[in-house]
Amino acid sequence: MNKRILIVDDSFYMRTMLKNMLTDAGYEVVGEAANGAQAVEMAASTNPDLITLDVILPDNTGLDVLKSLRQIQPSAKVVMCSAVGQEVIVTEAIENGALAYIVKPFSEEKVLEIVGAALQNDAAESAA
Amino acid sequence: MKTRDQEYREMFMAEALEYYDSMSRHLSELERNTDAGPALNELFRLMHNLKANARAMGFTDLGEVAHHLETLFGLIRDKQREFGGALAKVVFTGVDVMGTMIRAIGASQPLPDATALLDNLDRLVRGEAPIIDAEEEAESEEEAGKKMELSDLVYIQVKKLDNLLNLVGELVIDRDRVMTLAQELGNPALLATAQHLFRISDDLQYSVMDARLVGVGVLLNKFPRVVRDVATAENKEVELILSGQDVQIDRNILQIITDALLHLVRNAVSHGLETPEQRQKAGKPAVGHLTLSALTDREDVLIQVRDDGRGINTEAVRKKAVERGLVSAAEAPKLDEQQVWALLFEPGFSMAEKITDISGRGVGLDVVKLALDSLGGQLRVESELGVGTTFTLVLPTSIAVKGALLVEVEDRPYAVPLMHTDTVLALHPGQLSVVGGLLVTHFQEQAVPLVPLRQLLYDEGDEPLPLATKDNLHGTQQVLVVNYNNRRLGLIVDRFIRQQNIVIKPLSKPLDTIDLFGGVTLLGSGQVCLVLDVPALTRLFLAKRA
Repeated sequence: MNKRILIVDDSFYMRTMLKNMLTDAGYEVVGEAANGAQAVEMAASTNPDLITLDVILPDNTGLDVLKSLRQIQPSAKVVMCSAVGQEVIVTEAIENGALAYIVKPFSEEKVLEIVGAALQNDAAESAA
Repeated sequence: MKTRDQEYREMFMAEALEYYDSMSRHLSELERNTDAGPALNELFRLMHNLKANARAMGFTDLGEVAHHLETLFGLIRDKQREFGGALAKVVFTGVDVMGTMIRAIGASQPLPDATALLDNLDRLVRGEAPIIDAEEEAESEEEAGKKMELSDLVYIQVKKLDNLLNLVGELVIDRDRVMTLAQELGNPALLATAQHLFRISDDLQYSVMDARLVGVGVLLNKFPRVVRDVATAENKEVELILSGQDVQIDRNILQIITDALLHLVRNAVSHGLETPEQRQKAGKPAVGHLTLSALTDREDVLIQVRDDGRGINTEAVRKKAVERGLVSAAEAPKLDEQQVWALLFEPGFSMAEKITDISGRGVGLDVVKLALDSLGGQLRVESELGVGTTFTLVLPTSIAVKGALLVEVEDRPYAVPLMHTDTVLALHPGQLSVVGGLLVTHFQEQAVPLVPLRQLLYDEGDEPLPLATKDNLHGTQQVLVVNYNNRRLGLIVDRFIRQQNIVIKPLSKPLDTIDLFGGVTLLGSGQVCLVLDVPALTRLFLAKRA
């Protein structure tokens, strides 16, 4: 069945582009959050399979949001999104349970490859 | 029509200008108070976003400036550099250059060279002093008089757009009236002005219609969830394929068909597609395919719901329609496939219990027909037993203006929406025959019943139509063939006036109880013209025929 994805990014343009890429590929985008508070709220209400999370957000750093998300939705896979230059945060994010890292500007193939792999990971886990 | 790239560009521009404004604001704040942590964080975030978005759009020069500034702000935030002095000067220049670049992108002009700026930012990052020449300094003094930029996008309530559309509708009616008067008066100056008014109001009308368009995707993208839920409940395996999300349509039309589409999709999953076991037994892949697609066809938008399921069992539908009294047992065998499928959308049909077991179709499909009728849309069905079914909703792009054919009966004009007209025919008596009390002609190898429009409009009560004879038909008959729910009907009229775009206004009370008319329009002559409701006329004909 279609995997359900929550997009967290403070740029409307980025969210739209990401949403189009994902929905075109048959994923269902269940929500778009523009800040950390929205992200946490939507993750709780939509119970997504995967969350794409921008590392730099207005009200919180992406890292704090990641920690909250891991607590309220431990089953959701988290993929970080960031432009180059923020590798330090990304490394820390991976240590805090993020599965992968998409570098902006992202290509459609790359996004689908990374999201697909992250969800595959999910399938492997549930099969185990 | 906007492509996705154009939309991305508009979104990018709107956001970039917003970022630029915020940056300017936060910089001023930082200048007053160099310890303003939140302003620093915001600046860092805005630079970062602008960099990422610019690079995604392929504006590398802008991305480069934003990247350099982001790096510098990272250092300031980490207290490795201090905001002020020469650094502040370069940062202000940097933000100004980005503003110029964003405006240049908006105007599709080449971006200014930023080499000197980038060199200075590099120096600052390395901890060296920037090189600022006197000319540049003088230039920055002029910045006080620079342009202010607001976002290129506004959000607007649909209600306001509805109001605008109504006003344009009124304007178009008056315009037609002015045009006619000008022609009658024959004053050349007035005529020229009226023609200009005509063109301008036409442009205005299309601009307002254009402003109301949204991508069909905003509705289609809600379906993966629906399909998943229904499929899970029904133990079906379904792969949903969406296409044509970028096709543009009036927002209110999309709103009106939401339920109809939901119905068709649910129906396709529950009743159209088989279970994995049934599919495998039939030699099909276990996973059923459901395609939801939108495409444009001339002035119309087509939304299709296609499944590769069991198809409609025509004989079962025919049998059930007789049981439900929708057709007589004598008449039922004469109906072709299309005519039988059309019965699925009759209100009486969907009341049939357990219909899903025999036909795989039919639960509440009349709801779909009602929504389409209210829009002046059409529904087409294609189905092959064992192969699948396709429902096509034919929708107008806009609700404002409809193409219509004006006809005349007893000196009164009537408008028939083109959505429901098939063709016009001029028939001499030899091309007409009387079959079972009905006047019939043959058109495209199909027997099409004919009825004088005046009989449907003026004969009151539930009296059946008089038995047709050819006796009172003199000379060539002007026939308008209309089509509703795959059923053709020839309306005999006195004459055809012309084809024109009309603005349909709802009928005011108590006339709105007369369901033969879909509304009213005003002609340029000032004459009131009733708009015929073809579905209602067809139903009346079926009810009254002997």
